[in-house]
Amino acid sequence: MKKVIMGNHAVSYGVRASDVKVISAYPITPQTQVVELLSEMCANGELDAKFIAVESEHSALTACVGASAAGSRTFTATSSQGLLLMHEIIHWAVGARLPIVMSNVNRAVGPPWSIWTDQNDSLSQRDTGWLQIYCESNQEVQDTIVQAFKIAETVMLPVMIVLDAFFLSHTFEIVDILEPEAVRPFLPPYRPARKIDTADPHSFGNLAGPGEYFELRYMIEKAMEDSRAVIERTDREFEERFGRGYGIVKPYRCDDADYVLVTSGTVASTTRAVVDAMRAEGIKIGSLKVRVFRPFPFDEVREVLSKAKKVGVIDRNISFGHHGIFYQEVKSALYGRTNVPVTGFITGLGGRDVTPAVIRGIAEKLIAGTNLEPDINWIGVKI
Amino acid sequence: MGEKITFKSYKEMPICAMSGADMTYNLTGSWRNVRPYYDFKVSPCRLGCPAMENIQRYIFLLTQEKYEEAWRELMEANPMPSVTGRVCFHPCMEKCTRKDFDQAINIPAIERSIGDRGLDNPGWMKKAPATKKETVAVVGGGPAGLSAAYYLARRGYPVTIFEADAVLGGTLRWGIPEYRLPNDVLDRVVAQIVGSGPITVKTGAALGRDVDLAKLEKEFAAVFVGVGLSRSRPLGVAGEEGRGIERGLDFLRRVNGGEPVNPGRSVAVVGGGNTAMDVARCARRAGAEVTVVYRRTMNEMPAIKDEIEEAEHEGVRFRFLAAPKSIERGASGPLTVVFQQMKLGDPDESGRRRPVPDGDATFTLSVNTMFTAIGEEADAAPFGKLLECDGNLIATKGEWGETSRKKIFAGGDVATGAASVVEAVAAGRKAAERISRMLSGEPEPAAEETGTISIENINTAYFTKGKRLLVPRIPLDEALAGYREIHTGYDDRMLRREADRCFSCGVCNFCDNCWVFCPDVAVRRLEAEYEFDYDFCKGCLVCVIECPRCAISTREEGK
Amino acid sequence: MNAPKIPLPELMTSGHLACQGCGATQAMRFALKALGPRTALVLPACCWSVIDGPFPHSSLKVPILHTAFEAAASTASGLKAGLEMRGDTETVVMAWAGDGGTFDIGIQALSGAAERNEDIIYCCYDNEAYMNTGIQRSSSTPIGAWTTTTPGVHWKKRPKKKMIDIMAAHSIPYIATASVAYPNDLIEKFRKAREIKGTRFLHVFAPCPTGWKLAPELSVSMARQAVTSKVFPLVEVTDNGRTWKVWKDFEPTPVKDYCMAQGRFRHLSEDELRLVAEGIEENWQYLLSREAGSAFVPGLQH
Ligand SMILES: Cc1cc2nc3c(=O)[nH]c(=O)nc-3n(C[C@H](O)[C@H](O)[C@H](O)COP(=O)(O)OP(=O)(O)OC[C@H]3O[C@@H](n4cnc5c(N)ncnc54)[C@H](O)[C@@H]3O)c2cc1C
Ligand SMILES: Cc1ncc(C[n+]2csc(CCOP(=O)(O)OP(=O)(O)O)c2C)c(N)n1
Ligand code: SF4
Ligand code: SF4
Ligand code: SF4
Ligand SMILES: [Mg+2]
Repeated sequence: MKKVIMGNHAVSYGVRASDVKVISAYPITPQTQVVELLSEMCANGELDAKFIAVESEHSALTACVGASAAGSRTFTATSSQGLLLMHEIIHWAVGARLPIVMSNVNRAVGPPWSIWTDQNDSLSQRDTGWLQIYCESNQEVQDTIVQAFKIAETVMLPVMIVLDAFFLSHTFEIVDILEPEAVRPFLPPYRPARKIDTADPHSFGNLAGPGEYFELRYMIEKAMEDSRAVIERTDREFEERFGRGYGIVKPYRCDDADYVLVTSGTVASTTRAVVDAMRAEGIKIGSLKVRVFRPFPFDEVREVLSKAKKVGVIDRNISFGHHGIFYQEVKSALYGRTNVPVTGFITGLGGRDVTPAVIRGIAEKLIAGTNLEPDINWIGVKI
Repeated sequence: MGEKITFKSYKEMPICAMSGADMTYNLTGSWRNVRPYYDFKVSPCRLGCPAMENIQRYIFLLTQEKYEEAWRELMEANPMPSVTGRVCFHPCMEKCTRKDFDQAINIPAIERSIGDRGLDNPGWMKKAPATKKETVAVVGGGPAGLSAAYYLARRGYPVTIFEADAVLGGTLRWGIPEYRLPNDVLDRVVAQIVGSGPITVKTGAALGRDVDLAKLEKEFAAVFVGVGLSRSRPLGVAGEEGRGIERGLDFLRRVNGGEPVNPGRSVAVVGGGNTAMDVARCARRAGAEVTVVYRRTMNEMPAIKDEIEEAEHEGVRFRFLAAPKSIERGASGPLTVVFQQMKLGDPDESGRRRPVPDGDATFTLSVNTMFTAIGEEADAAPFGKLLECDGNLIATKGEWGETSRKKIFAGGDVATGAASVVEAVAAGRKAAERISRMLSGEPEPAAEETGTISIENINTAYFTKGKRLLVPRIPLDEALAGYREIHTGYDDRMLRREADRCFSCGVCNFCDNCWVFCPDVAVRRLEAEYEFDYDFCKGCLVCVIECPRCAISTREEGK
Repeated sequence: MNAPKIPLPELMTSGHLACQGCGATQAMRFALKALGPRTALVLPACCWSVIDGPFPHSSLKVPILHTAFEAAASTASGLKAGLEMRGDTETVVMAWAGDGGTFDIGIQALSGAAERNEDIIYCCYDNEAYMNTGIQRSSSTPIGAWTTTTPGVHWKKRPKKKMIDIMAAHSIPYIATASVAYPNDLIEKFRKAREIKGTRFLHVFAPCPTGWKLAPELSVSMARQAVTSKVFPLVEVTDNGRTWKVWKDFEPTPVKDYCMAQGRFRHLSEDELRLVAEGIEENWQYLLSREAGSAFVPGLQH
């Protein structure tokens, strides 16, 4: 069944399709509709889940930790300040190896208060051990939620699905709604090997000395590494069943491109339009959307970018005192492998529109190579 | 004890921190500086009891409703609890720890209940067979002799009791009146003792008259002499022999023999001991106004405190610091007795202050009868030639009743002078034990551990203050109307209630506290005891403090 | 031997890492004896996260989910929901937190859970400071006490937070205080709590010899004296916060004796001690008034 729905509701439909058992979330603009629709679904029986209407995001995620440790499939949704409030438990979920899935609507962080999009909230969680997948369409959002549970429960790490505030969260698009019955063969009920069970009591998460902690961390990284194949396989399987696949990265007209713009989120769609326009003018340009940010797709990025002459990375975020975060990551992927020059562009913070004109400006700046700062180029900032 | 899990590779580990075993690999006993250990003490009451009754234990058994076992425990130390439970001066209660909390446990009342239960359950006493060939002679059938006979017979020695009187009991029968110790109780006690083993009783057999000590020494493997004190001390005042003046003991003997007595309206009793009290009280029962005249003060009276109180309660009047000086009597009618007023001087050998005349002060009393009760003494004639004496008393060494003759032992009043039933009982038992060891060649027992405790060692938080439960009694008018026993004894509920007051000083009574409060689960609760698990005990000593009764002691590690 | 007054089965093993004489450990042992093996625990950061023992070992024979310091009630809410959705409706979920994790950092999650009336037992074992981190004040630290963050002349000047009132204000079905010095009462209360649905809050007084500068052997006596000196009254609040019951059947003991046995109060002058005692008496009178007022609270009459 197809429906025209907003991005936030696409999240809710993905959760519905995944037969989630415990949901705990706390409202925050621009994620609120996720929570509202899920409560509605729980209330009307569309979804056989317990909805715990907690008093904070911190509690939302800890409730998920509890429920997941009990052996139930769990979900939460948040954004920005809420995500930051969760931070301690973001780590906890990883160390506890709980396959929690969360959607985060990218929203700028205060102060000043801003409800508009940028990626600093989710990217500030990049080192926690969560898988992060950045989506660009409502369909992708819904489908990725379903994929995320399968991935998470295979590698026993939590997964964060990220979507841009308003540009996606509040944008209505046609979505082919996944029905739980159809999804079930793809995503069977969650049956964990370890759980809180009075018939088989164990203590989870107690003190570990230096003699053991290190190995536990090693295993998290190993699971991250293993997850690359799992993500790919899951996406393939999903595509086989439902006819839609998204890949780990999405290269667009890169095969013969001299210039490649690296993007993520909804900027990726805009960029593809710009690429098409510039290609029509004979400029050999392409774009690379990074969909899976954690684990970082080193091989895929390298493979695409090493053929280019110039690479520009568009970051809707900033690591203060360093550079744009995707820029850093792309550079580190290429370091020592290729000499293709990489330039960072920061734009669109706090919801400033990243229009085709902005992207075209970036592309032209990159191609021209004049007035180009080596690392950070602020695009559109009123200097 | 558990094993410590160690991982050689991450591959052996679960993916998250998840326990696979308990903590018992971790022997926290190594943290300990001081170790607790179960160390049962001797309860103070036991140390206070001349017979060393294991009071704590029989009370504990009562709380477990193990009546027969309680009785057995008691009979180990005292063969006549029904008697002592009624007449004992209970020094145990002086020592009772509970005295320093609220009021001492009513130990004699409990003892009496147990003893009476033993009398009511004749089946409990299984007659001991004669298993030994050595025979023992016991001379005197008072508490000392009966006790010696009992403990010898229980060990299988055939015993012959030689008693001058026609019946056994001694002072219990002829001295102590029925309102304190009914004859029928005494009869049953005596019967129980005599029936407890190979005991032959020869009454009307007086030492020195019918039997000879030297002969007994030859015929028997051992002899125990417990003939008590048979003579009243004279006043030493002119005119004390004659109308209107009677020896207290003689009066009691008549009363106890059931003879009607009529001492007249006005009676004086001279003396301050138990005899004086009983004489006074019997005289009250015969309808007299009674004044006890004592040469010292109330504080120095040798009578049992309870008896003084009872006498007062029954209307006996007291005059202290006075002694008869002269007696004037006509042909008939009341006597006039002149008393010298006394005052207290320097202490004498008993530690009490000696009464000395207070100048010329005197007063007179006009009485129908004056009873003398200033003490009894032994008649040394029957044994004086053979045994070393201390005055009229038989000289004994140490606590086992040994005399100057190897085979002859002595105990009770004849060895100590006027004392008490329980001391006579203790002496009889100890002599029996010594005789038995002598005859069987058993070694001397190791000196008993007498580590004890006091109120400071009791965790009083576990006890609520209350009062000693008094033994119910008949009303005063009924008591004075005859010789009915005054105290009627506890019923089962009262017995249990009083028994429950006992702290069980220094001895575990399975209250579980140590087990309950150990933060380290290092106290094992076994079938019939607790055990410290020193692998894990951290030595916090919470158990030591929370043991309400100080049954746990501590020792520094490595010492 | 007599039948034991407290249940025999042990759900806590020896070898745990608590200090000598630790009241928190006794509290746990008694609570689990009352609740039995079908109990799952949530442990936020507190001494108990250490006492449990290091991975891969545990001193408890019930499942434990360790969680973040402030997250006991929310984790427990989730755990209960997760168990139920997995088909396990029988397991009792108990959040077990220190006073810091309850009165301070965890109060938000606790309030949330209580307001939702989550079907959990929340037990605060109260050692009156942050002991895990080395004796810092909490809002449960009593007036007068020394801690490493209330040192010298800056001993704590503010009274202990009235946690029971706060919980009663949430209209939850069962609230009780208990003390390790009264194990039978404690066990009875946990048993009672076990049979009730909804949020049940138990506040257990658990002396900490280390943090109170107290001889370890005195830990239980201190707990007892806390009750008899009215420092820590035993209270039960039922009927969704309406009915208060205060236990009074004890021989009162002086607050001064209680304080002077503990190094943390030893700096107090006579005058200061008197003030402390007055505060305690005031709180006692307040509790009695709550108890007396129980019958008149509107809503009871329906
Ligand atoms: C009136 C009175 C009241 C007392 N009240 C108490 C009391 O309440 N509580 C208490 O503890 N104590 C009391 N006493 C003391 C107590 O009775 C004695 O200390 C105790 O009875 C001593 O026991 P015994 O066996 O040594 O001597 P006795 O009881 O005197 O027994 C000696 C026995 O030996 C017999 N005998 C004597 N001479 C001979 C002989 N030559 N040959 C064979 N047999 C002989 C006697 O007939 C008697 O049976 C009281 C004493 C008196 C006199
Ligand atoms: C968010 C956070 N802040 C601080 C800490 C450090 N910390 C761990 S336990 C603790 C104190 C615990 O106090 P309490 O809850 O009273 O338990 P106790 O240790 O006294 O048993 C603190 C401050 C932490 N673990 N997490
Ligand atoms: S309380 Fe009991 S054990 Fe202790 S002294 Fe008194 S009678 Fe003996
Ligand atoms: S605490 Fe109780 S059980 Fe333990 S030794 Fe003392 S009396 Fe016995
Ligand atoms: S309470 Fe336990 S740990 Fe402490 S001393 Fe006693 S047995 Fe040892
Ligand atoms: Mg604390």
